[in-house]
Amino acid sequence: MNTISRAGKIAKINTALLTGNEAIATGAYKAGVYVATGYPGTPSSEILPYLARFNNAIVNWSINEKTALEIAIGASIGYKRSMFTTKHVGLNVASDPFMTLAITGVRGGIVIVTADDPNMHSSQNEQDNRFYSKFAKVPMFEPSDSNECLEFTNLAFEISEKFDTPVILRTTTRISHSKSVVRIEPVYMPNLSKDIDSKNHSEKTYIKDIEKFVMAPVYARKRHKIAIERLKKLLEFSNNSGINKIEYNSLDFGIITSGISYQYVKEIAPFTSVLKLSFSYPIPDLLIKEFVEKVKNVVIVEELEPFIQNEISSLGISLKGKEIFNRFGELTPDLVEEGLINSGFIKKSNNLPSNKNKKGLIELDSILEKLPQRLPALCSGCPHTAIFYALKKLKIPVMGDIGCYTLGALPPLNAMDSCISMGLAFGAAQGLSLSNSSHKKIAGIMGDSTFFHSGITSLIDAKYNNACFTAIILDNSTTAMTGGQDHPGTGKNLSSDQVMSNKIDIKRVVEGIGIDEIYIIDTYDYNTVYKTLKKALSSKNLNVVITKRPCVLYPKKIDLGKKFKILEGCNGCDLCMQTGCPSILNSDKFSDNNKSIPFIDNSCIGCSICKDICVFNFIEEIKS
Amino acid sequence: MNTQNILICGIGGQGVVLAGKIIGLAAYEKGFDVKTSEVHGMSQRGGSVSTHIRFGEKVSSPLISKNDADIILSFDIYETLRYAKDFANRNTLVISSGYGKIPLWTSTNKNDRISIAKIVEALKINFDKFLTINDKEIAVNLGNIKVSNIISIGLLSKFTDIEEDFWLKVIENNVPEKTKEINMKAFLVGRNREEIIGI
Repeated sequence: MNTISRAGKIAKINTALLTGNEAIATGAYKAGVYVATGYPGTPSSEILPYLARFNNAIVNWSINEKTALEIAIGASIGYKRSMFTTKHVGLNVASDPFMTLAITGVRGGIVIVTADDPNMHSSQNEQDNRFYSKFAKVPMFEPSDSNECLEFTNLAFEISEKFDTPVILRTTTRISHSKSVVRIEPVYMPNLSKDIDSKNHSEKTYIKDIEKFVMAPVYARKRHKIAIERLKKLLEFSNNSGINKIEYNSLDFGIITSGISYQYVKEIAPFTSVLKLSFSYPIPDLLIKEFVEKVKNVVIVEELEPFIQNEISSLGISLKGKEIFNRFGELTPDLVEEGLINSGFIKKSNNLPSNKNKKGLIELDSILEKLPQRLPALCSGCPHTAIFYALKKLKIPVMGDIGCYTLGALPPLNAMDSCISMGLAFGAAQGLSLSNSSHKKIAGIMGDSTFFHSGITSLIDAKYNNACFTAIILDNSTTAMTGGQDHPGTGKNLSSDQVMSNKIDIKRVVEGIGIDEIYIIDTYDYNTVYKTLKKALSSKNLNVVITKRPCVLYPKKIDLGKKFKILEGCNGCDLCMQTGCPSILNSDKFSDNNKSIPFIDNSCIGCSICKDICVFNFIEEIKS
Repeated sequence: MNTQNILICGIGGQGVVLAGKIIGLAAYEKGFDVKTSEVHGMSQRGGSVSTHIRFGEKVSSPLISKNDADIILSFDIYETLRYAKDFANRNTLVISSGYGKIPLWTSTNKNDRISIAKIVEALKINFDKFLTINDKEIAVNLGNIKVSNIISIGLLSKFTDIEEDFWLKVIENNVPEKTKEINMKAFLVGRNREEIIGI
């Protein structure tokens, strides 16, 4: 390794250490994206905020993914390049415009970034969005590191315009949230100053083209045929453009792979020949045929579904893939190694990292068995805690939703009974109440950002259809789980210094629907929370409870400056522990009847809910 | 030089991601090829989290293979136990905070719990190079508990092929303006700790 610093090399100005998400934003900037939209969702959330730092594109959070894509489509109809970013499940929400955009094609290039989450680090399913590409006959890029994220995003805009099609750029968590070195001209580096030269955007004047954009049957039939023809040209590009390429090495062992799996293959089996699919739909049939002809043993290494395997199988070529590697979860270097050992590519050896010195580990297993999993939990002082604690006491069915508050379903709160899709809660609450399977009134619960995303429609439906349940909207004035993004209720947006945003008042929305029974509560007042929920749940009306307390993390950390303590004499009844507050912990002390005595550590931010909950009055503020 | 594998672990919210950013950037500034992998989203709410950092001449995988870490840096002693089991080998340098946030014990029986002393003992038996650092105490003495991670990074820096200047530059550019001075001081305090002697 040479020890010359980067500072001493000219190369320094042309490289940066970026996450995949940052690199995608940089690539979009380089391509001159004019409008970029999306809805926050791990692992895609950091693309738009990073792009907004360039200050030359219109970058906005949208109310949901469907609207986001529709805005991108409109910009494209207006000849501008646009990008829509989403997590995998968000493309389901946007799939209606997406599937037909696939046949209308584009004017300005459209790139759709879908960030999948194998192993569900922060998701409710691990669907493989590569299938959307085939489903819609839309081409797809799969970058394997940050530099490719940058290059492929830039290229995707060109491909989109050249072939008159939206283009999918598909990443996974390990691409989006991994950092690696990118090579880039300094002019495209993020710069907070406002005087960056703006790109030469198209200045064409709008003219209509109903045969392209009005997908009434008479025109849609024509466009569908065009999309099928387009696929043939894309196939030629896939074979001949050089983006998909073969790295010949050993002619005994070959691997066909894409995305992050490529990096694991290079790490574990650098001696093999590799066909790397970077433009992975449509798959390059000629390259695949060449590869399997030249290389004796070939396997497919891909994460999640047998997407490449099925495509290859449809060419009449049978290769092993999912017989060796899991169809669920993430691949890791270790799993790739294990699979390649099982398929005879590499020999089991004591020199392999996985066996290195492992025998040295003594007694760790037996101790580890006693260490409980450290699950995520609502924060100290989280405004949602009191609501879930009260719902648990009220023992009612609670249809839940997706956000930080999904943690209210986990022990010890155990107060949410469903988490399936964004905006499910009010629809499911209506349905569950129709089922007559509970003699208690049902509650539906979702956050403010989720309410805007897709709760408004189901609340209107509930009013329209005379449903009876209690709708709870947890308004913490941010999209907390994904890192505190703005939404219509905050009145701010990403490029808000360029475009003024308006603040939408949730209460007025609910009133506008015609719901009269609305309760607004402060969740730091536990007794009122409990009484209000009890009242709302005993009423025979469709009613709405809106909580008002800002998130303790976003937009800035909140500490009320108070601390609480548990007094001598506490009998270890466990009530305060049942809040799940991470500041209330087991001490080493036990009561006479062998119950663990809790204590409050200094991470307490002073919300005082535990004080309200302790019926024995053993919790008190520390007066200094 | 072979690729150096550093795993940082701790609890969501403790600054594992920022620590990974600083170490990754220091390696990058030095001129290494670098890959890192971090966890965002749900686990950041107090769950157990880790960041992988790999650097060297050419790096492919952003993830460290099982039991293949050269250094583990942990901000919580309980998490040290969890991650060392999966990622350390006999020769791994394990640098751990001596503190730990008590986990939610599933049992009320005292005997079903493990003490920090017991964990330290087990880690000492298993790993030849095991260091605990009272990072929080040193940080408080320096005047800001928030610099505890930087102290540990300072200690770690001694065991990398990256010179002091690179580290200081990266810290200066990546911490809030007001805390630059104390962070750089904290780094040097960690870098010059006596615990290093004999390792």
